[in-house]
Amino acid sequence: MNRRGKTALYVAAAIAALLIPQIPLLQPYLIQFAFLWVMILFAMTWDVMGGQMGYNSFGNIVFFGVGMYATAVVQRDLYFTVEEYASVAGGEQAALTPVEYLIGLALGMGSGAVLAVVIAALLGSGILGLRGHYFAICTLGLGIAAGELASGWDYIGAGSGLVTPLLPDALGERGPFFFYLFLVLAMITFAALKRLYAGQFGLAINAIRDDEDKADALGLHATRYKTVAWCVSGFFLALTGGAFGNLVIFIDPTDVAFAGPTFGVWMVLMAILGGKGTLWGPVIGATVFHVTQEFFWIYLFGWQRVALGLLIVVVVVFFPLGIVGWLRERWPQRFGEVVDEDARRVQVSLEGER
Amino acid sequence: MFRYLKPVFAPLTAVALVMSFAGAAHAKVEGDTIILGAALSFTGKYKTNGKHTKNGYELAVKKVNEMGGINVDGKNYKLKVIYYDDESTPARGAQLAERLIKQDGVQYMLGPYSSGLTKAMAPVTEKYKIPMVEGNGASRSLFNKGYKYLFAVLSTSEQYLAEAINLAAQQALAAGKDPSSIKLALAMENDPFSQDIRAGVLDDAQTHSMNVVIDDKLPKELNDMTVTLTKVRALKPDVLVVSGHSKGAATAVRQMMEQKVDVPMFAITHCEAADVVGKFGPGADYTLCATQWAETMTYQDKYFGAAPDYAKLFEKEYGYTPPYQAAESTASVLVWVDALQRANSFDTGKLRDALAATDMQTFYGNIKFDETGKNVAKPMVLRQIQSGQYKVVAPTKWASDKLIHPRPKWSER
Repeated sequence: MNRRGKTALYVAAAIAALLIPQIPLLQPYLIQFAFLWVMILFAMTWDVMGGQMGYNSFGNIVFFGVGMYATAVVQRDLYFTVEEYASVAGGEQAALTPVEYLIGLALGMGSGAVLAVVIAALLGSGILGLRGHYFAICTLGLGIAAGELASGWDYIGAGSGLVTPLLPDALGERGPFFFYLFLVLAMITFAALKRLYAGQFGLAINAIRDDEDKADALGLHATRYKTVAWCVSGFFLALTGGAFGNLVIFIDPTDVAFAGPTFGVWMVLMAILGGKGTLWGPVIGATVFHVTQEFFWIYLFGWQRVALGLLIVVVVVFFPLGIVGWLRERWPQRFGEVVDEDARRVQVSLEGER
Repeated sequence: MFRYLKPVFAPLTAVALVMSFAGAAHAKVEGDTIILGAALSFTGKYKTNGKHTKNGYELAVKKVNEMGGINVDGKNYKLKVIYYDDESTPARGAQLAERLIKQDGVQYMLGPYSSGLTKAMAPVTEKYKIPMVEGNGASRSLFNKGYKYLFAVLSTSEQYLAEAINLAAQQALAAGKDPSSIKLALAMENDPFSQDIRAGVLDDAQTHSMNVVIDDKLPKELNDMTVTLTKVRALKPDVLVVSGHSKGAATAVRQMMEQKVDVPMFAITHCEAADVVGKFGPGADYTLCATQWAETMTYQDKYFGAAPDYAKLFEKEYGYTPPYQAAESTASVLVWVDALQRANSFDTGKLRDALAATDMQTFYGNIKFDETGKNVAKPMVLRQIQSGQYKVVAPTKWASDKLIHPRPKWSER
């Protein structure tokens, strides 16, 4: 497919996605789609580190939680005092005007993203000197620690959680609002990552994945690139978290915000399922994961987690490269990889002679 | 350009087709069946109580259907409940509330288990103006938000252990001591329910000017509280209060027994749901248990008869004595039945008004909601485990036995 064709395809896909809420049949499922966009965001942001750079991070959930709490706190503190809000949050008495709501949400998401970048930069410069497994183990503790900290901090509701403001009626139903909010966020993230991967930054983090020592020896500031990659990941994840808090309304420190055992693990799984280190892999992986999960939830009631576990085992054993990775190996030409048939024949015949 | 659109539309139609089969039955009333919806914790940390809640709902549905169902506008209807598993996490709970309402078309909701899950679902049901009757979200923070579509048949959490504090004060007075000399130890799970209980206990402690010497927050999935118990040994409080759902109850009783911790008064929640007597036998004796309902109480209704009859029927059906979590769930369904009959309509607005006007007696207790939607017609009771039996010791109106105080030391048992 040529360049123009590809662009047309992207535009068509975007338009198709934006038109979903217009299809009457799909209207009851808009929140379901919003959750799907969240899953896609999870997988895409994880893949920056885990896939493109080969650094498995199990602590990305920290940025999600930080964004969520920062947004909720900004939304609260702009218009209420802490005590006042504690008694009215989530109800009619705490109703905001549409403008107030949007300002709070935007400012909150913005400050959440900035905070996440600062945290990623600080943490990253500290622990991104670690390589491979050591880094993975180090990040494992981050999410848990963050959850415990949030559980003990009364200003953000501690273990009792924090309730985000309700969507004002004037902004329409929850379905379309959150559908578009997350869809636009996912599109922006996708476009930004696509752009980044295509340039020098993409080459640099791929080089780190392929051979960090060589990259280092060639004069690449590996730790600096790694930190920037984590900041990028944290930035978009914090935006997702900020909006997600408003979607589920009730923020529990360990079950919603710093939900390592669910969201934190899922983001890794979805990226691997789709094919890590590819542009579309996380998107496809998240879609397959979310759809199968929802189906298991209905039709394998009580066994959904077992079924999900089996699915993961099957994927890891039979498709270790993920869906996109597997397709790419089967039909490399389709992915723009040129296979020199003559050279391949020589190779095959050489192998045959041996 | 259309050439390039093809590959996009094919999968899209496929998704649309698949989703239309995924059970988008738009159903508040299907034929002669009224559909209620509930998201419960079948897996995760609340799964024990999720099961109690489901059994409670199911027993009510079964009984009501056996007795001819509900008559609305001259026609008889059966009841049915659609369940989903919220996996004990609020994020899933909110998603499922949305799903029940938007995808399954449910117009009549039953509550989930726990305050946290109710907190996550109530804003959603409120937004869609779908009434929810719940029996398992006790946190006061649910009832100060001006919710108009949330109705709770249970007593709110600050009342759970208030009686225990009062008892401690009475015992002090009887012994010729000032209640303000009492030392209180609190160990509360860090979740909305137990933290609200803590707030209630602290209020009560303040009215008696009691001294709080331990105030621990315990983690969720409570499996170990040795640290708190070590402090209890050192500081020798007069009263130890623990709250942490079923896991917390089991852990507290087990470790008190194993580590032979002596304290004059020991009060917890969720004894029955955790089956501490069945698990620990005599080790559970003298524990004070807060309960929403006791099978020895004398309330009754036409579906289940008196409280003991309900207990018998439940035991026959499910093989264990009903904890109050099951009883209050059954009562939630009965409230729906009553409201549907009085409203004589399926309109959610009329049903909301009918629910708000509820004034009835059930085997579980009297039910009448105040303007915030909580039940104000029913007291909490406090029971003490004596020789493996739950005996009501407070409030005086319902007390069948005298409190044994202080708890005998482990060395003297």
